Amino acid sequence: MISQVFILSSQGDHLIYKDFRGEAGSDVVGVFYEKVTALTGDQPPVVMSRGDLHFVHVRQGGLYWVATTTADSSPFTVIEFLNRLAALVKDYCGSLSEKSVQVNFALIYELLDEVVDYGYIQTTSSDVLKNFIQTEAVCSKPFSLFDLTNVGLFGAETQQSKVAPSSAATRPVQSSREQGGKSEIFVDVIERMSVVIGSDGVVMKTDVEGEIRVKCFMPSCSGYGASVRVDECSFHEAVRLDEFNSSRILRLCPSQGEQTVMQYQLSDELPSAPPFRLHPTIERDSGGRLLMYLKLRCDLPPKSAAINVCVTVPVPRGSVSVSQELSSPDQSAELKLQSRAIEWNIPRFAGGTQLSALFKLDASALGPAPLLEVGPVVLAFELPQLAVTGLQIRFLRLSPVQPGPSQRWIRYVTHSDSYVIRV
Amino acid sequence: MTDSKYFTTTKKGEIFELKAELNSDKKEKKKEAVKKVIASMTVGKDVSALFPDVVNCMQTDNLELKKLVYLYLMNYAKSQPDMAIMAVNTFVKDCEDPNPLIRALAVRTMGCIRVDKITEYLCEPLRKCLKDEDPYVRKTAAVCVAKLHDINAQLVEDQGFLDTLKDLISDSNPMVVANAVAALSEIAESHPNSNLLDLNPQTINKLLTALNECTEWGQIFILDCLANYTPRDDRESQSICERVTPRLSHANSAVVLSAVKVLMKFMEMLPKDLDYYGTLLKKLAPPLVTLLSAEPELQYVALRNINLIVQRRPEILKHEMKVFFVKYNDPIYVKLEKLDIMIRLASQANIAQVLAELKEYATEVDVDFVRKAVRAIGRCAIKVEQSAERCVSTLLDLIQTKVNYVVQEAIVVIKDIFRKYPNKYESVIATLCENLDSLDEPEARAAMIWIVGEYAERIDNADELLESFLEGFHDESTQVQLQLLTAIVKLFLKKPTETQELVQQVLSLATQDSDNPDLRDRGYIYWRLLSTDPVAAKEVVLAEKPLISEETDLIEPTLLEELICHIGTLASVYHKPPSAFVEGSRGVQHKRLPGSAGSGESESPDPGSAAGVTEAPPAVIPSQGDLLGDLLNLDLTPTTTTGPPPPASSGMQMGAMDLLGGGLDSLMGDESEPPPIPLRTDTRQSPRLPHQSPSPPDYSPTELGGDIGGNSAMGAAFGAAPASMPTSFNAPVSGGLDDLFDLGGGVGMPMGALNPPKAVWLPAMKAKGLEISGVFVRRAGVIQMEMTLTNKAMSVMSDFAIQFNRNSFGLAPAGPLQILTPLSPNQSIEAALPLSTVGPVMKMDPLNNLQVAVKNNIDVFYFSCQYPISMLFVEDGKMERQVFLATWKDIPNDNESQFQIKDCHLNSEAASNKLQSSNIFTIAKRTVEGQDMLYQSMKLANGIWVLAELRVQAGNPNYTISLKCRAPEVSQSVFQNYEAVLKN
Repeated sequence: MISQVFILSSQGDHLIYKDFRGEAGSDVVGVFYEKVTALTGDQPPVVMSRGDLHFVHVRQGGLYWVATTTADSSPFTVIEFLNRLAALVKDYCGSLSEKSVQVNFALIYELLDEVVDYGYIQTTSSDVLKNFIQTEAVCSKPFSLFDLTNVGLFGAETQQSKVAPSSAATRPVQSSREQGGKSEIFVDVIERMSVVIGSDGVVMKTDVEGEIRVKCFMPSCSGYGASVRVDECSFHEAVRLDEFNSSRILRLCPSQGEQTVMQYQLSDELPSAPPFRLHPTIERDSGGRLLMYLKLRCDLPPKSAAINVCVTVPVPRGSVSVSQELSSPDQSAELKLQSRAIEWNIPRFAGGTQLSALFKLDASALGPAPLLEVGPVVLAFELPQLAVTGLQIRFLRLSPVQPGPSQRWIRYVTHSDSYVIRV
Repeated sequence: MTDSKYFTTTKKGEIFELKAELNSDKKEKKKEAVKKVIASMTVGKDVSALFPDVVNCMQTDNLELKKLVYLYLMNYAKSQPDMAIMAVNTFVKDCEDPNPLIRALAVRTMGCIRVDKITEYLCEPLRKCLKDEDPYVRKTAAVCVAKLHDINAQLVEDQGFLDTLKDLISDSNPMVVANAVAALSEIAESHPNSNLLDLNPQTINKLLTALNECTEWGQIFILDCLANYTPRDDRESQSICERVTPRLSHANSAVVLSAVKVLMKFMEMLPKDLDYYGTLLKKLAPPLVTLLSAEPELQYVALRNINLIVQRRPEILKHEMKVFFVKYNDPIYVKLEKLDIMIRLASQANIAQVLAELKEYATEVDVDFVRKAVRAIGRCAIKVEQSAERCVSTLLDLIQTKVNYVVQEAIVVIKDIFRKYPNKYESVIATLCENLDSLDEPEARAAMIWIVGEYAERIDNADELLESFLEGFHDESTQVQLQLLTAIVKLFLKKPTETQELVQQVLSLATQDSDNPDLRDRGYIYWRLLSTDPVAAKEVVLAEKPLISEETDLIEPTLLEELICHIGTLASVYHKPPSAFVEGSRGVQHKRLPGSAGSGESESPDPGSAAGVTEAPPAVIPSQGDLLGDLLNLDLTPTTTTGPPPPASSGMQMGAMDLLGGGLDSLMGDESEPPPIPLRTDTRQSPRLPHQSPSPPDYSPTELGGDIGGNSAMGAAFGAAPASMPTSFNAPVSGGLDDLFDLGGGVGMPMGALNPPKAVWLPAMKAKGLEISGVFVRRAGVIQMEMTLTNKAMSVMSDFAIQFNRNSFGLAPAGPLQILTPLSPNQSIEAALPLSTVGPVMKMDPLNNLQVAVKNNIDVFYFSCQYPISMLFVEDGKMERQVFLATWKDIPNDNESQFQIKDCHLNSEAASNKLQSSNIFTIAKRTVEGQDMLYQSMKLANGIWVLAELRVQAGNPNYTISLKCRAPEVSQSVFQNYEAVLKN
């Protein structure tokens, strides 16, 4: 049972405070903020307690979303709830920021009243809720170059937002009631890949977690299908699975707003090779310097490209400076002493090509086995317009056929989650 | 115009302005004003002064405005109860509104107004709403019953709302069912014995039907409720499992975990050979794996739960090792949790893979993580024997990196590997010795010293190595000092000729220059052993050590069972039972897994030492303690021992040293004539006991002194006692040793007062591994409760506190329980608690019964014990002769009671002396016809005088005693005390 819910700004300002069970006073808000800001990096921040009161919180949109409980309730329930609440607020207010929460406080209180009663979670479905909610959302300014929260589209934080108007997906669901004619549906396929490649070049582990997210501004029901081969998947409750097993069609009646309709995982057997390979040569020269010659190959199809590739190479203790030879001027590399690593940035990396870099590392006092201290190399990247599992949405059919124009957007993106190449 | 203006700061007269706006005619203006009021409320300003004005806005047909007003009411009704009543009429009216939204809103808000007065108005509307045609209203009303129950439980019962609520479980709307279940579950928790949530196959069936239809949150309520049900047989269990399994693929992780909880519990009842059992095991893995793709917060919570599940049923995830490999971008708390699970899943089949991973981790940047990874390699070696060799070579590779903290961790774990596989990997010692100089952490230094001492015969320059440590002896931590002492003694026993000087040096450092009692004790023990019987010393010090157990940090099985019942809750994240952190009665019900249908309770899920520890009957120990107590107090009866009695006395004196503290030097003085330590006939048993500190990490060296002392005493006294000593560090035995040791200390007290041996008050079985034994003594006018607390659980205990129930003489702790350091597993600690007699009084039966509550970080435990009434006899209990005479006459004869004390062979003189030591004073003595009449008085701490006439006839072992007291209830206890004192 949830005892209280409150939303704090990152500076600790009270934005929303609602007490459901009268079990603790509002002074706990301050207690929470003290505790959360005093946490060190290695302490699990999930559950904190003061006496009989337990705090569970998540961070979304730069805000603390906090629930307290006195009983032995489920942290899963509370965390899921807080995430849903944040999503609901985002759906209803258009975007998630300190400002939008502040101006829409009356709406959020009303939402909270319907979503939780006496600590029991009632519903978080925006379809059900729209029957009860009276307050209209107050939109913050539609789009501003300075307001970066508007640029990040829902789901993926991609900068390749050419596929859809950047502010299209960040409007409140309810305003679509008035806009009437214009119905839009966005489908995003977002995948995160984890790869471990051993020092001998053998792929030790590949794991892709993906999800299909739908954001819908339709006045009424719709459905869509996908053809997939996946290991494990779970579905949103609005999904009808009748045709999934036979013809891989998902039929769903999405509520207004954003939701994840399907999550899936694929391990070890990807249809294509992992996108990057590294061939490192590391040796010590006569002057005691460490020479690292890295050849990085991108095995994507030639038409695709990876963007924002960042290669992190941990270097031995005692490294002081690095001199570099990179194969093109738009790349850059830097030695970060704090994290003891070289960061090599490649803004765009076309499929089927190969890049190389030579780093010469000066060190004041190398340990006895500096070569052991190099690596593993970690890659971070983004693959726009590509789902590495090969998952494709073949068709998106709305039924019954909508009157008036309707727009459908389907986007794919793959992110690196943990792409490690051992050397 | 945006709403942000509501948050502008307080101006003068703001309240006044708002008041005017609230009373405005324009609806829009009113609405804006109420919004401003609520905005002020949110930021914590007091706007309660506006209560009447806001309530005035309540009667409106604008739903938005109405909701805002209700929001305000909920917040301030408590501080303005009289005003709240003003709103009641509107509430009642709204409950009749044609719009179901308004009906529900009214009943919901009324329930949230936590004012007693409002409850009576709430009953009628609530009754109607519970039967409302609209499910939205019904589900709101169902929750309202729980709210009302919290304010006034009696009212809810009287009005019959509980029955209505039970009917709602059969409602057609799943949302209503879910809320009714949630409300009933909560109400039932406050009445643990009621049959409120009467779960029978019919209701279960209804719940399972509703499960498929209701929202995800409703599913959680229903699943949690199902988890409390105990199926009648395995068939019912299977059918419920079948209907719950589809929930495992739900996207909401809370639903998944609640389903896992139900399945884990009901699985206990399924026979293991059933096909379905295997199917179920397979189905459980994917959802757990999927949880790991969530955000780090959920991942962490999921990992904590998986950690429990893996301990209970490792077979579920045995093929999923890979998903627990850490990602470089995992937060550190997730990484550590994953590491722990990796070790638990490690087996011969996957060990190569695991080791390769761990080796990678050991080169990462994060120091904490690297340390844990190195330790993990050691744990793998200990757990999977086939991998030991590979682990050792991996560790050697890591030592080659010369990274300081890696080397130190590696040495610590290699020591454990030596313990587990003696005489196998000693070839690496040379490599270890190369790193001697770089060790700066106590644990690593201690480990290295242990290794040098243990293998001194194979290390040519062992004496030089140890000597180098000795230079800074006093700057070392206790751990290192103790280790160094033991190591040098070992070295001496192995190479006596060249190390005599060294050993003398360390012994004098330990015994004369150190303030640490543990170190001193251990020093003396070695000293005496060496000076009296080097052969025995060799057998004790160089004894074969018991193997260390495979899994060092398993959760105790009973706790694990309870935690499995709480999967998906806070308890599973803290790994503590809910009673440890949830207040009051709610959490006290301990949940247990149902017994398996096939083999019954006897089936123990985790074979191994952990289960053995808790199941070993602790009752054996007290009886040994009593035996020794008898031996010490009465004339020693050698029939029970094969060895002569002195060993007991030697153990006793060693114990006494600890207590006397200052008297040490004088004792040291006659070192030339040390007391005989006759470890002759029986050394074969004693050396097998653990007395070397390089043992599992949870075994603290600070108790070693106690162990060894008790050890020799025990070995001697119980030559014929248990033939098979435990091979691992078995908790009851070391507890027993401590008991013996303490006993010695007690008897060694110079006062010669009667000190019965400690009795076990709280057996470890009843207190999650905490064992308390104790005794009451009176010293210098202060009543002391002397206790030995022994941790027989697998985890560290801390935060001890003690409380007494009210009792006959107002005994209460005079200060807090002084246990400042956490109690490690297998460790014992002595605590003396001074008592006062000014606490609250309540007559107990028997009179001298005392109910005690002891709290620690795990739980609160209760036990009761009886104190001898003589504890309460104060020192100034000697009455004037005249007063005695007058009082004796004054007390009516009805208050006199007579008792016989049989078989007492003391003469009156001796009896008188003996009684005096218990503060029973003889005032006069008369001899009539060969019969001695002793007139005695004593005074209880609460001021009650007891007068006694004791008749002793020469040659007759039976005494007669008459007691007179204004409070005759105490007579029985006083008589018992006489009997106890005289017969000892």
